[in-house]
Amino acid sequence: MTDPNSLEPANHDAGDADDAGELRERLALLRDSAAHYAGQDAHLKRSRALRGEQPGYDKAVWAELAGLGWLGALIPESQGGLGLGCADMAVISEAMGRALFPEPVTASVVLAGGAILYGDNEALKQALLPVLAGGTLVPALAWREHVQDCDPLQVDMLAEPVAAGLRLSGTKVLVVGGIGADGYVVSARAGDGLVLCWVRAGTAGSRVAAEQLPDGRPVATLILDGVQVPAADILARGEVAARALMRAYDEALIMTSAELLGLSTRVLEITVDYLKTRVQFGRAIGSFQALQHQAANLYIQQRLCRHALDEAVMVLQDPAIAADERGAWASRVKARCSDASLKITRGAVQMHGAMGFADECDVGLYLKRAVTLSAWLGGAVIHRRRYARLALKEVVA
Amino acid sequence: MNAPVNAVKDWNGMDDEVFRLEVRQFFEENYPEELRFLTNRPHFELIKPWLMKLVAKGWSAPHWPAEFGGMGLGPQKLLIFMDEQSRWGVARQFLGEAGTVQLGPMLISHGSEDQKKNLLPRILRYDDVWCQGYSEPNAGSDLASLSLEARVEGDSIVLNGRKIWTSSGLDSTHLYLLARSNKEVKKKQDGISFILLDLSSPGVTVRGIRNISGTTEYCEIILDNVRTPLTNVVGKLHDGWTVSRSLMGFERINTGSPRRAEFAFKRLEALAVERGLFADAGFVERYTELALDLADLKSTYVHFADMLCRGETLGADLSVLQLLSAETNQRITECLLESSGELGLTVTEANSEGKRVDALTPFLVMRAVTIGAGTSEIHRDIIAKRVLNLPSK
Repeated sequence: MTDPNSLEPANHDAGDADDAGELRERLALLRDSAAHYAGQDAHLKRSRALRGEQPGYDKAVWAELAGLGWLGALIPESQGGLGLGCADMAVISEAMGRALFPEPVTASVVLAGGAILYGDNEALKQALLPVLAGGTLVPALAWREHVQDCDPLQVDMLAEPVAAGLRLSGTKVLVVGGIGADGYVVSARAGDGLVLCWVRAGTAGSRVAAEQLPDGRPVATLILDGVQVPAADILARGEVAARALMRAYDEALIMTSAELLGLSTRVLEITVDYLKTRVQFGRAIGSFQALQHQAANLYIQQRLCRHALDEAVMVLQDPAIAADERGAWASRVKARCSDASLKITRGAVQMHGAMGFADECDVGLYLKRAVTLSAWLGGAVIHRRRYARLALKEVVA
Repeated sequence: MNAPVNAVKDWNGMDDEVFRLEVRQFFEENYPEELRFLTNRPHFELIKPWLMKLVAKGWSAPHWPAEFGGMGLGPQKLLIFMDEQSRWGVARQFLGEAGTVQLGPMLISHGSEDQKKNLLPRILRYDDVWCQGYSEPNAGSDLASLSLEARVEGDSIVLNGRKIWTSSGLDSTHLYLLARSNKEVKKKQDGISFILLDLSSPGVTVRGIRNISGTTEYCEIILDNVRTPLTNVVGKLHDGWTVSRSLMGFERINTGSPRRAEFAFKRLEALAVERGLFADAGFVERYTELALDLADLKSTYVHFADMLCRGETLGADLSVLQLLSAETNQRITECLLESSGELGLTVTEANSEGKRVDALTPFLVMRAVTIGAGTSEIHRDIIAKRVLNLPSK
């Protein structure tokens, strides 16, 4: 270990000749460069300073992320991206999670970008994806409605056929990245099933209202009242739309899990460091067995996330994976990371004592990001149930 | 039959799937049906016919190098071998395990030429059945404080003291043990010797200890002026601690394998089917949570197994796997017992004959997994001190 406070295992030998070895080598290089950029203290300070602001992130940093290629990691080279896979994107997401980046990369690039990319409107893809990868277009996905179930395929937003295309009416909530977005991918219910539409910001009949997430970032409510969508702006319909939405959703679950793992790892490092330096009763509090065992418990939680995610991203690296299998992996990992990150961040506050309760202490920022991301796109209970439906269906009715 | 017929076969050069199918076929055709998915460690006489089949096949030590009569499997193939064992419910916690799994590799790395030449073939064939004597009444978690006395007298060692919690001691013919050969040391890990002993030597008493699950897997061994030749020291005199810590590979991740937790989980599934529990939403939530705990335990195991396959050294963080494996195991058997409820109270392995699911025995047996291979508390200490580098004072 080069950094004595790092909880990460040292980089593996990159000598393997096989494909897995090559991928591991590539990921190790990416991990180093991602840590070099995202590991700077300035990012955490930005995250703190931008709480309660709109759009809640830094456009200059967004441009830097585009310059690094991160915004186009999952986008094919033919559409201006790098054409990498889930394993690569997870490395990037984890690095940003560590420093609590406020930029809505998962929401905008993985979720909204994925819904565009996995649709079948080639002209619109060519128009949107290169500028998305280039950082000049920030889309957001508006799929969530006020229903209890966290199921992207349950949609009330109405898409009525009109002469030139569709007319959308309804309300979408919890649109992360939706404040300051340049356009929205909107899921709606048409006569023949699900439809995904591209709605540019400011289109007549659309309205955006802001709310605030626990971590201080803004989130949009998108109200559409008879918004006209020309046929050319329909991203996908029916089965294609459903498949695109679910794939984007699953990949966003994985990347959110990677962010949760990153923030959990970092807050545990901060906490272990505190245990080594804080002195009470004449000794470092980290020498007390009660706290040592508590720290060990949190570390075990972190390792569970690490190994489940590592295996999942390797499986998802194959784009031909069956939808149910992908969903089961994504839900499994999101359930674990949601659960574990809450345990770890709560434990981090506890072990910081009164200082952990103070706003000036960074562990509170980590707790609130964990609370936000754990619930976003469905929490542990929801994803355990989905896992049971997808992976245990032989025994669980 | 010193050289098993197929010991020279190039297993590692085989295609993985071809190898897997060959192993699978052998297990399916030869392993006794009534011994599949055992909860308890079987007594030697019960498992002996199977062990003899392994011996005849040349498969009794898959992880030993071929030059010593093992199969010489590399990590990848060994993983497949172990996979297939658990898939078919083949007992691996059998008696001879201490000899084949533990002692053999230690002799190969630290034994004298005579020890290797004389003992390894006998271990392979189960001519000798070995048990391990580490714990003492006053040296459990604090093993290095052990005090069983080893005194050198001429070309002999005289042993006095007690060993306890020795697995399968009643069925064994030989004991390898750690003993205090030098009391005048600053560091208690020094002055310990690794010694081999024939249990038929005069002065040896072996007494079974009945455990809470009702079987007699453990023993107490009392040594009263027992003599063993000085040539039975493995490694250097006083350097036994090093020998005992020398297991590097699969022997170390063996106790962290998800195998037993999978067995228990299958039993939980069987109980749920028997009782119609999958119609109970509360049970399904708990069952799913355990399924995910097991899945993530497997991912963790794969991480460490992959490290071995790449030839990397396992570190102190292996305690993470040991803890996860043991505690997942316990959670599953706790759910099994609680779900079995009042109706399960009168079901035992003996009276159910597999028709009704015995929940009590696995629950009781699994109390030991957070104690035996290092207590959970010791593993948490190791993580805190050697992985997180938290201070001792």
